[in-house]
Amino acid sequence: MSLCVLEEETFRHCCRLILQQSEQLRDGWSWESVQSVLVASAGADSIQGDIDDEDDDADEGVCTVSEGSSQVLQYEYHILYSCSYSTPVLYFRAFTLGRSLSLQEVWSSVHSNFSFRLQNSPLNTITQQEHPLLGQPFFMLHPCRTEEFMRPVLQVAQDHNRPVNYVLTWLSVVGPMVGLDVPLKYTTSHY
Amino acid sequence: MADDKDVLRDVWFGRIPTCFTLNQDEVTEREAEPYYLLLPRVSYLTLVTDKVKKHFLKVMKAEDVEEMWFEYEGTPLKWHYPIGVLFDLHASNTVLPWSITVHFKNFPDRDLLHCPSNSVIEAHFMSSIKEADALKHKSQVVNDMQKKDHKQLWMGLQNDKFDQFWAMNRKLMEYPTEEGGFRYIPFRIYQAMSDRPFIQKLFRPISPEGNAHTLGNLLKEMYPTAIPNDGEPKRYQVVIHGIEPLLETPLQWLSEHLSHPDNFLHISSWITQETVGLNGGNSELTDSLMRGRSESCP
Repeated sequence: MSLCVLEEETFRHCCRLILQQSEQLRDGWSWESVQSVLVASAGADSIQGDIDDEDDDADEGVCTVSEGSSQVLQYEYHILYSCSYSTPVLYFRAFTLGRSLSLQEVWSSVHSNFSFRLQNSPLNTITQQEHPLLGQPFFMLHPCRTEEFMRPVLQVAQDHNRPVNYVLTWLSVVGPMVGLDVPLKYTTSHY
Repeated sequence: MADDKDVLRDVWFGRIPTCFTLNQDEVTEREAEPYYLLLPRVSYLTLVTDKVKKHFLKVMKAEDVEEMWFEYEGTPLKWHYPIGVLFDLHASNTVLPWSITVHFKNFPDRDLLHCPSNSVIEAHFMSSIKEADALKHKSQVVNDMQKKDHKQLWMGLQNDKFDQFWAMNRKLMEYPTEEGGFRYIPFRIYQAMSDRPFIQKLFRPISPEGNAHTLGNLLKEMYPTAIPNDGEPKRYQVVIHGIEPLLETPLQWLSEHLSHPDNFLHISSWITQETVGLNGGNSELTDSLMRGRSESCP
């Protein structure tokens, strides 16, 4: 369906618009032009979260910080373009006290409302993957179902003759699932 | 033309003789003997090394054992790359057997993905197959398969069952005759000594004029430094499954016959070292390709 296909040039254009907004909001997005990546690094002092170990069958490597303790988490988000799927793809990683978070810890630091829905959602899979440009382990939200949740949105926008920033719309859906908030201020007059 | 099926078999059954040695800093109750194994080029380290783990666990206490990982001359080996690619990229100029060091602590989580179970390997493998089909067929073939068909591909790889695997994989290698080939070719080019893990971009097997693109055409577009200009000596080696296919080889043919089970063409490249030739290459495969060439010559 050509409606849902995101061309690479359109991807870059969408990112440029997001960057313009980001500069005004000062929320930390930057563009790595050599590698065509949109990067946001949420600073250590701006996100606080709890790590709860609620997993009954805890295996080695799962964080065993006691319930309710508060830690400072640092998240790094990268938006890349997948030419295989013609969609944006979200890569992220998280650290606490210089240590990488495991997937279990990431799940438990996401708001409990999302966490349950996410783990059972057929639309999203989060897996550990090698970052295609940096070669380091990141978590990735698998892009193969992106078209499913983008299509209704894009259809409505097309029916109402409203322009849409594909990347921004996509980010507002997937971002909150992984602790990335997209402020309403992004959706101002122009797209 | 030599039977193309010979090529498929030779690719599948390619092996690399390997010697696994325990890292000397591991805590052992007695000295650990090295362990020898023939590794399948087309499989993944964590899928085929249960015996290695069992062997070294015999001399270690459980509390000293964390996630197993492998290293070659100081470089952590990425289990999610096919074994043959790791060898070609890191060790092709080494004398066989390939010497790999085994570790059970200090997992380098900045460099390596975790591999807690076989289902992680399965997910990674299926993810590659799906991505390859997205490129070849807009995902139509893989989406038309049932869950049990996907399982058959994985079980075929896991249990080293060529026929079981290809009974299903052949569907992923079909294309409409009028198209002349796949939509795009799934490939990754790995450059030794590069910061970037690999090059992967869109590339069609057939030109707009209807000509078959070759391996040389692909490299010229994606990695032009590897191709010498006319009259210049060859400076780079371009290797698939441990051999150097002729640059004139049609890319569509390479994709159908020399892809890994994950349906990607994994191409390794590095600057030629003058003294040593290629070791550990798949000699049966070379023979098949040579037979094919000589039989097709007038």
